[in-house]
Amino acid sequence: MLTKELAIAECRDGFLLPDRLYRQHHGHYLAIAEQLLELYRAGVGQTRRELHAAARKLFEQEQDCPLRRIDAFCKLLDDASTFDKDRRGAAAQLRAKVFRMAAKFHPLVVEADSLFEHAEAVVKDEIAQALGTTWESISDRLFADVIPYQKLAKFTGYATPGDLLARYNVAQCQAALYRAQSLTVWATEDLKIILRYAKLARLVHTIDEDRNGTHRLYFDGPASVLRATSRYGVAMARFLPSLLACRGWRMEAKVAMGRGGWTRRLCLSADDGLRSALPPPEEFDSQVEADFAADWAASDPSEWTMSRETVVLHQGQKTFVPDFVFQQAQGRRVLLEIAGFWTPEYLASKRESLERFLHEDILLAAPESLLKQANVEPWLRDYPGLIRYKTGLKAVDVLRRLCEQRP
Amino acid sequence: MTAVGKYHLKFDQGTLTLADWTSEGIAGVFSDQNPWLWDGRANVWRCDAWHYSSVKRQIDLRAWQVEDWATEWPVVQFPQVSLPSLRTHQREAVERWLEPKSGVVVMPTGTGKTEVALKLMATLQVPTLVVSPVRDLMYQWHRRILQGLGYDSGIVGDTAFDVRAVTVTTYDSAAIHAPKLGNRFQLLVFDECHHLPGDFRRDAARMSLAPYRLGLSATPERSDGRHADFSWLIGPTVYNLPIADVKGTILADYEVVRIPVHLNTQEQARYDQLSAEVRQFVYQRKQEDPQFRWRELCAESALDPAARSAILAFRHKQSIEDRATEKLRVLEDLFRLHTGTPIVVFAGSNAMAFEVSRRFLVPCLLSHCGKKERREILDGLQAGDYPALVANQVLDEGVDLPAVKVAVVIGGTASTKQARQRLGRILRRSGDAKAVLYEVICSETNEAKRSRRRRDNDAYQGTRHRRM
Repeated sequence: MLTKELAIAECRDGFLLPDRLYRQHHGHYLAIAEQLLELYRAGVGQTRRELHAAARKLFEQEQDCPLRRIDAFCKLLDDASTFDKDRRGAAAQLRAKVFRMAAKFHPLVVEADSLFEHAEAVVKDEIAQALGTTWESISDRLFADVIPYQKLAKFTGYATPGDLLARYNVAQCQAALYRAQSLTVWATEDLKIILRYAKLARLVHTIDEDRNGTHRLYFDGPASVLRATSRYGVAMARFLPSLLACRGWRMEAKVAMGRGGWTRRLCLSADDGLRSALPPPEEFDSQVEADFAADWAASDPSEWTMSRETVVLHQGQKTFVPDFVFQQAQGRRVLLEIAGFWTPEYLASKRESLERFLHEDILLAAPESLLKQANVEPWLRDYPGLIRYKTGLKAVDVLRRLCEQRP
Repeated sequence: MTAVGKYHLKFDQGTLTLADWTSEGIAGVFSDQNPWLWDGRANVWRCDAWHYSSVKRQIDLRAWQVEDWATEWPVVQFPQVSLPSLRTHQREAVERWLEPKSGVVVMPTGTGKTEVALKLMATLQVPTLVVSPVRDLMYQWHRRILQGLGYDSGIVGDTAFDVRAVTVTTYDSAAIHAPKLGNRFQLLVFDECHHLPGDFRRDAARMSLAPYRLGLSATPERSDGRHADFSWLIGPTVYNLPIADVKGTILADYEVVRIPVHLNTQEQARYDQLSAEVRQFVYQRKQEDPQFRWRELCAESALDPAARSAILAFRHKQSIEDRATEKLRVLEDLFRLHTGTPIVVFAGSNAMAFEVSRRFLVPCLLSHCGKKERREILDGLQAGDYPALVANQVLDEGVDLPAVKVAVVIGGTASTKQARQRLGRILRRSGDAKAVLYEVICSETNEAKRSRRRRDNDAYQGTRHRRM
């Protein structure tokens, strides 16, 4: 991610617009990006300082380019690089040796005289000779551990120039979020993924749903209820790539500007063409789910419509997104969760969710093989909404239970 | 009144929470001071962690049955306390702080703030977090705690996250990790506490339960006036020892000598050309918009190549001032003049610091130095193995250099705080020797203006001028 100093954004009509390179207006950046990648690919052995200076050179002819944009590209390239950090402390050892040797000649003067007889050039040559090398070689290694003088060891990033530009656009959006106070996501799909990654980023959610089934997920942090704070902005920025990988969402962040208490709105959506480096989420968590969905589609039961992960059950900060939702024309709703794992922790958390949302119609599908195990907990076997299956969950079995389920 | 039951006070990521209380119950118990706000997202009452002591006091006062699940305070016993006996003013500071057990102690640099803090830590024997501005100081605290209390403290910062009952950290790390650290310390020590009230850094105090808080500073005032927030972030000023009271007694008598240098012909020509570029640009902008401020430039550089080149010219100007060749020549003269006396050189930038280090082959103390190398350089200077060292901002505050009586400033900014802190470095009394601070600046440039501003500070009274 970029540092906050590298963020570029424009304010217009209450909106915050992060710097963005568009193919239409910035097509020539593809050529610069290609040269930047070439610079780093061929740059093993060069120092950061040299690489950054060379990168600046590439932008020299570019009329419309702020310095921070160039520095941001350098940061993104550095992030994908390994630099020789001199972990064993060779440079520090060399410094201690050279400086201690030089100490008895202090001060090194430009021109020696009768009082101060140690000329800089002479002493340096003598030290180099004593260490069996040249002064140039020593000078080259003396500060090799200092960040600007570290040498590139390996560059592993960005397959194409387009990837670098895509990363840049996302990075500027992330940097714009560093001072965000809250983040609202309107989503119709991938709710489970969005909530999971928000939780990993330690954000606190508030959930509601409108009449069309769009969920509004409002994210901020624990202290946000006490005061407007940007302290969770970095967490929101970390969360953004996960959101970008999802489908069917739009978001709006409230971003603080300076000390005056003003805020600007940062709006993004799945249709903005921002490309996440993360792959899109798998459509199904398991083969059992995929097969069941296919079987259901083939059997086409007209009375019930099925959808995937479209309902979020929530109570305080606990959420439960069952795998499938069955909606009857008359308004009955039944939920289906497929037990996908067998670890005690997983089953315990499933049990907690089912007990928390007792007032909902929830079916739980579990394989016979799991139920036969000696140590499986009795609550699972006794669960009223349990559906057993052998090799795969069949649509017809679920349909039968839907009809039996409490009216 | 609502029924008495078992309630739990919890720490949640830098905040305190209390569940299952009605608004009437809250209003009844916290009638004097009610910090609680309802948090419908998690169905709890919530407040900032720093309210902990007052919350506890009010709960205890009314004998409510609340189980305290908030704190995670381990028992601390310092294995070997060996602290020097305190001087009168230090003893006074200790006694004053111990009355409320929270507050700011103001003492000039070099008058033994660290010893006051160590004494208080040894007295209280509670889990303690020591927060300092830079990692050099963090490591110095680590060493002083080991020497004085025999305790090997944990370190949070500089890529380490090792929390122990006594831990040292920096302001940035303390604020970043406040949601995880806030319930684990009973005493907070804020070294150079004027760094605390920043928007983000204040979370280090705000998100902590610690009832005991000690702020240390020579210069508590901030230009933005936010030191007023110390009253709740730390506590009131409990002790204040002005610099005039100690000059010549505890601190060494000192003298400031200002040495003007000139840019060489080449530098001057380039400097004038760059100045003209910048002036021209600002002039044009003011014609278009009389309200134009130089500060707005950075925002503009995104869209305007002319603004960009003006900024580049300005930066280049600064680097010419900072790295004027003449400064190295003056430095050579000063090294000649003070041969045999350890000297500390403060550079205005890392680039200049490296240049001095390469030119004179003296060690430079910069952020790249690890714990070990830092120690080696500082010990080496004290033992006389090194004749001098050069530093950038790193040494600005509080790093101990007891033997140094000569310092040279060859670049820096105009902030009064920085000036006084820098003086603090050489003000350490050692025998009868008087300390000298040389300030080497380019005449007829912005640096000269900065120096004039710096001399408004009372610590710089009586500056002499000298041409070399």
